Amino acid sequence: MTLSRTVGALALAAGVCAAPAVQAQELTLWSHWADQTAKVEFVESAARAFEQANPGVTIKINWYQKEPLYAALKTALTAGQGPDIFYAEPNQTEYMENGLVLDLKSKLDWNNIEPWAIKVWGYEDGVYGFPLEAWTVETYVNLALAEKAGVEIPVEGVEGAAFVDAVKKIAAAGITPMAQGVADRPYPGAFLTHEILVKKLGVDDYASLLKGGDVKWTDPRVREALDYAKQIIDAGAFPPSISSIKLGEAHRYFHTSPGAVMLQMGSFYPSRAFASPDEGGQPKDFRLSISNGPVPEGAACPKCKTIAVGGSFVVNAASEHADLAAAFLNSMATPEMGNKWLEANLVQTGIKADPSQITGDKAAYLQMLQAANEGASYTFGIPVQQMQGNPREVFTQTVNQAFPSGIIGVDEVIDMMNGAY
Amino acid sequence: MSARTIAVPVSGAGLRMAALLLLIVVYTLYSTGPFVWVAAMSLRTTTEIAANPYGMPWPAHFEKFASAWFDSNYDTYFLNSVTIVLSAVALLTIIGGMAAHCFARYRFRFKSALYFLIFSTIIFPPQVTVIGLFQIMVDYGLYNTRVGLVLVYVSIQLPITIYILEAFFARIPKDLFEAARIDGYSEWSIFWRISLPVAMPAIATTVILNTILLWNEFLYAVVLITEDDKRTLPLGVLRFLGDQLEDVGMIATGLMIAIVPVVLIYVFFSERLIQGMTAGAVK
Amino acid sequence: MASHPANTGQDRDHANPPGVIAAFLFPALLVYAALTALPVLRTFYNSTHLVVPNRPSEWIGFTHYAKLWTDAIFWKAIWNTLTWAAVAPVLEVAVATLLALCLYAKVPFSRFLRVAWFTPVLMSYVVVGILWMWIYNYEWGALNTMLRAVGLGSLAQPWLGHPDTALASLIAVTTWMWTGFNMVVILAAMSSLPSEVLEAAELDNCGWLAKLWYVILPLIRPTLLNLIVLSFIGKMKIFDLVWVTTQGNPLWATETVSTYVYKRAFQWSTFDLGYPSAIAVIWFFIVLAGVLGLTALFRQQDKLEY
Repeated sequence: MTLSRTVGALALAAGVCAAPAVQAQELTLWSHWADQTAKVEFVESAARAFEQANPGVTIKINWYQKEPLYAALKTALTAGQGPDIFYAEPNQTEYMENGLVLDLKSKLDWNNIEPWAIKVWGYEDGVYGFPLEAWTVETYVNLALAEKAGVEIPVEGVEGAAFVDAVKKIAAAGITPMAQGVADRPYPGAFLTHEILVKKLGVDDYASLLKGGDVKWTDPRVREALDYAKQIIDAGAFPPSISSIKLGEAHRYFHTSPGAVMLQMGSFYPSRAFASPDEGGQPKDFRLSISNGPVPEGAACPKCKTIAVGGSFVVNAASEHADLAAAFLNSMATPEMGNKWLEANLVQTGIKADPSQITGDKAAYLQMLQAANEGASYTFGIPVQQMQGNPREVFTQTVNQAFPSGIIGVDEVIDMMNGAY
Repeated sequence: MSARTIAVPVSGAGLRMAALLLLIVVYTLYSTGPFVWVAAMSLRTTTEIAANPYGMPWPAHFEKFASAWFDSNYDTYFLNSVTIVLSAVALLTIIGGMAAHCFARYRFRFKSALYFLIFSTIIFPPQVTVIGLFQIMVDYGLYNTRVGLVLVYVSIQLPITIYILEAFFARIPKDLFEAARIDGYSEWSIFWRISLPVAMPAIATTVILNTILLWNEFLYAVVLITEDDKRTLPLGVLRFLGDQLEDVGMIATGLMIAIVPVVLIYVFFSERLIQGMTAGAVK
Repeated sequence: MASHPANTGQDRDHANPPGVIAAFLFPALLVYAALTALPVLRTFYNSTHLVVPNRPSEWIGFTHYAKLWTDAIFWKAIWNTLTWAAVAPVLEVAVATLLALCLYAKVPFSRFLRVAWFTPVLMSYVVVGILWMWIYNYEWGALNTMLRAVGLGSLAQPWLGHPDTALASLIAVTTWMWTGFNMVVILAAMSSLPSEVLEAAELDNCGWLAKLWYVILPLIRPTLLNLIVLSFIGKMKIFDLVWVTTQGNPLWATETVSTYVYKRAFQWSTFDLGYPSAIAVIWFFIVLAGVLGLTALFRQQDKLEY
């Protein structure tokens, strides 16, 4: 049974399915990204190509915003319903725990997928997700404003007190040092703190800290890292309105009005910033650079940073067309498709791709991104992806929100996080 | 009452009038200001708004309405909203009215227990029951159908409708019904020709309340409908509330499309409400 | 339809024919049982079980309820919601009564004002939330812009971003939204008062305030009670507004029971519906007690006065 299934999937995947159309089959797919045109076009065109190659198959895609999508999925899956394929992110281990998604280990051609992305989607013995989108946490620099404030934020980052001084200098010039907003996301306000933490502790101890292992929030290194972040915050790094700025607005704050020297953001930055200016994109002739950001003194791993697998596709365990669904995902798992994704979205992917193949006007940005990640070692997933339950909730409220807005200090963060596990 | 001295009646009353008018003006600004602001923004582009949030809609971009209506599927959402809300409100008025009439007029066993049971469920947070509801809708084959959404809307507004109508029906003098019964009215025509007409003000209240709440209903519309062709207006507004960029200008336009019909209904109904009350005043 | 007149032996049986009663109640009860009662019963069931998809539910007794006891966020949410439900109905109904009186007294432009004051409630919570986030915006929001314009710039602050102001700011939004609705209902009640009563008061040369206090308010007490109870229930369940604006931030200052239930049911990475169901059940009884208490309180006053 499983053998014949696998064979069937492989046959489909290889495009050998030249046999006359079997019967009309409809695959349904629910996905986030309703308003991210490039991603919608990428998936839709893959779907149309798959339909062409497999007569009789239609793929019906419903595009959602993330919030409604999750609500719809949770209710549908609980009732044993739902689409054949749906959007998921690797922190949603509840899907695997409850056997709601299919193990794709033997169904996809994993040779074309980056090993770290496979690892992120690994659960017990299986691999469950097709990692379409991946991103790193970067410190973007607005070069024009940096010059105006008379500071330099080099690619390799700025160490220790020098960064605090730079922030003070920028603030003294009447410019916001770092744009950020936490009004609609549980993570961006924490970028500053968690990038400092991972550099200070190194990948393993950092993971242990987040997951409630041996390294506690009372660890002196954690306090040093938080003190450093607090110095930066108290130097006036963030806009006073950080709590009411949304993620999209933070982009605009950084590159257009009023402008800020830095923005710590996922490398999905281009999906918003490279739109046309009247759609919220950065101005024409905007001079952008990418830096390693603040590096704490005594860092165990100054080159450490975060890579996260973002939007992925999983197959519903209750699907009647599981093999067909897997075959569709496989049709996207090719280096060509990987490059197409990179070129269209300018954000990394779990598919093996070769940025050097990409030419055209966006190539310069991809090279810059590559340079900023030269020699980096990664922790997989931002904290809210690595944590669950109460620690995650407390982290969101403190490190993401109250701490960067200046409402609470280092002691409160340590107390609250320590009490959350 | 101390102001009622004969010496300064004009200036005292005048002063009080002025203070009253000032308060009224301030409250009116508070209640309508945000609405006027949105109306202005609905005619301006997002770039204009970003440059100056409080500018005049000049030049007025009326084409934004056309673009929202045709390019963003608003015509479909609008039609869906109208059909679903109207059906639900009509059903609610009749079904709820019948039940309320029954609770107010007749005596039967377990009446208060039943009434209490129905009423008590409006207290439940819908965020939790929606899961159970979803499973049931799937079992009935009503999931992702407009009929299903109508029935759910009826069910969520039913208790409050019964509650409001029952309170009003109960205050209609018993003699009216006794007289009708002696005149040979059937039980149904007592309900249809006496209870309902006399209770016009209460019915208008429930109709307005239900229309507004359902027109803006969001949670069930998200969870129970998956296809774009069946979605309602509140979800339409969300289309512009992207992760990418908050398209302030288009959100405002979408909002105006959603709100204008309700304002019109209200303007129309509030007149009827007053008429109904003066005509049907119970003496 | 024919009924046996024998079952109770009372002389008014013909007035309460069981067949008619059943017919009148049937449609409502059908909808109620199928779409309201069943999901609620499921919630009760879930609250004492470990419910996971693809596996039979497992009875775990009152474990969830015991856990609630030590859940700090839950208590914070209860406190916030109770504050909201205590403050908002009073504010709404009090302001609405005064406004209704203005219209009842036929101030100039009454017809316009009746519509103008009502408009806020016509918008969905989603839209109201977005709109007020703009108004409370620190940099260009209307509130801070006005404060700066009149030289009170030092008072400007991120209203929804600070734990001290966030909840009050949201209460101001619900008051803005619902006062107009209450006003219309109260106006309707006032308009249906028998005119003789007011004329009599007029003859007594009563001021408007006295008339309001001694004549009008006692007569519209049932309406006021209904409105307060409605508003109370609405605030005890409040979700959409919080969800669109703050999602319970900052530091749980605006966390309500409903947002917490939703977070536990849909956002925390688990399919377990038991815990959020337990919160819903507990909350159900608290709100119920509140409603019964309110009703009893008003009844009591009725008795005292007449």
